[in-house]
Amino acid sequence: MKPQDMKDLRELIEFLKEYQVAEFDLDRGDTKIRLKFSQPAAASAGIADIAKLVTAVPVASAAVAAPSSAAPPQSASAEPAADPDANLHIVKSPIVGTFYGSPSPGSPPFVSPGDHVEKGQVICIVEAMKLMNEIEADASGEVVKCLISNGQPIEFGQPLFSIRVG
Amino acid sequence: MFRKVLVANRGEIALRVLNACRELGVRTVAVYSEADRNSLHVKFADEAICIGPPRPADSYLNVPAVISAAEIANVDAIHPGYGLLSENANFAEVCRASNIKFIGPPPEVTRLMGEKEKARQAMKAAKVPILPGSDGIIASIEEAQDVASKIGFPVILKAKAGGGGRGMRIVRSSEDLPNLFHGASTEAANAFGNGELYMEKFIEQPRHIEFQVLADEHGHVTTLFERECSIQRRHQKLIEEAPSLQVTPKLREEIHKTLCRCLTEIGYQNAGTVEFLMDEDRKLYFIEMNTRIQVEHPVTEAITGIDLVKAQLRIASGERLSDILPDKIEIRGHAIECRINAEHPVKFTPSAGKITAFNVPGGNGVRIDTAQYSEGVVPPYYDSLIAKLIVHGIDRDEAISKMERALSQFIVQGIDTSIAMHQEIFADPEFRAGEFDTKFMERFLARRA
Repeated sequence: MKPQDMKDLRELIEFLKEYQVAEFDLDRGDTKIRLKFSQPAAASAGIADIAKLVTAVPVASAAVAAPSSAAPPQSASAEPAADPDANLHIVKSPIVGTFYGSPSPGSPPFVSPGDHVEKGQVICIVEAMKLMNEIEADASGEVVKCLISNGQPIEFGQPLFSIRVG
Repeated sequence: MFRKVLVANRGEIALRVLNACRELGVRTVAVYSEADRNSLHVKFADEAICIGPPRPADSYLNVPAVISAAEIANVDAIHPGYGLLSENANFAEVCRASNIKFIGPPPEVTRLMGEKEKARQAMKAAKVPILPGSDGIIASIEEAQDVASKIGFPVILKAKAGGGGRGMRIVRSSEDLPNLFHGASTEAANAFGNGELYMEKFIEQPRHIEFQVLADEHGHVTTLFERECSIQRRHQKLIEEAPSLQVTPKLREEIHKTLCRCLTEIGYQNAGTVEFLMDEDRKLYFIEMNTRIQVEHPVTEAITGIDLVKAQLRIASGERLSDILPDKIEIRGHAIECRINAEHPVKFTPSAGKITAFNVPGGNGVRIDTAQYSEGVVPPYYDSLIAKLIVHGIDRDEAISKMERALSQFIVQGIDTSIAMHQEIFADPEFRAGEFDTKFMERFLARRA
């Protein structure tokens, strides 16, 4: 690697660390960038970090990952350690697909933080294979937070909403 | 070449496919069940998506979950590995309908080969030798005698509705036939509610010989020699070798020509394996075809120098065999593979749990395909294969000595493994002489008891 490339790479890494970027792609030809910020995660350290570290790449090609706060690739495999509240129930996705917070683009969301929901109430849609699957709350209570953004791809078991039960 | 491929599998084969993709510059997407969260195939993939809880039916076999993952990851193709969805024609069709390339043969071909009887008829029509047998159910003793004399004794009577060895009788002469026919029929009627029988030639000491095939999407087919897989326990292979000591160059050439012709007619594409039984006279009879990459593919890779998984990827992206394979492929040396399972070496009871030490052997001509590691966990939900140990030597003797050395250095602690059993087999005179058949393990275990 040329000295200037090394310098560029160092600066890039510092930048990524400062902004807690967990994943970063860059394509170069006509550019194309993809950033993924790290989530507060109980990161399973060890092989995951080592694997990412050794994929150190020359600046002109694909993926570079920030070595420090390396969240596991794509999957939010950790429990959302964000809220220690014991009454907090996390609604998790039963399927793989794309998350939508409202019944259709532009219409108001199914639920918002502060709303009361009943068990069985539809709280979002996960689209899978062109089918819109309605996801129901599996507990009653007050919606605290929506943990996913509209249009985000989600996996099985992905935390969707936190609900304060009661 | 594809930009991004999803590997619809787990364990060592998922890692194997991932490796081939990586080396070809293809981005990889792993799917995993909650039980495989810390698997190597997950850790080493570019992206990973959890698709379900541990049970295979809810995760790895869950077609909507796999396809949905492929869609949100925006992949070009899916490699199904072996087992799981690899021979599921419906899955291949859903891939096609979803505009995702399925790395394997077209669904119609998978379906044809998946129906045993249809496959036999297709092969028979293409003049591939099949195990002689009755044309369906045998209506009477007279017909049984007639069929048996055409096939030649010994024959085996089998229950149409059956399995598990019930309603089966081996008949060695026409005098014995009537009584055994009645016996089999009655037993079948009692066990399955259906006493109908069919008949097949019975091979006393069969060997299991299979041929590797590769076909591109432009009508070209070739074979990459054979593998000897007679060391089996309860129809599960334990040790495989390439080439087979029993296959002569003439036989190899004959089968090569026959398979190339017949698979071209059938429109086969991508990798596959044609399985045969060999009788005492070294005649081969077709039993079935597996329309996927096989567990034991590394022994063929060792003797030919061809990366079969890369070939699969290249074939699926439209390349021609003439660009993928060298003009002349020859057998170089001898390769042997041991399937290392997480099970007790004597009792064969499965052993799930956490691995506390994992030292893999290395060296010239020694290859390990594994997705396990120290501190790794073997979950109880899936098959027990944890590693494949493959050796390649100048000849069978050298391969054997390499395997013995390598097995002695393969240290796994925390769970039981079949390593000790493999060591005993390699010390066995019958195995070393290469004079064995599919009943070898029965005899070996009896000797050991």
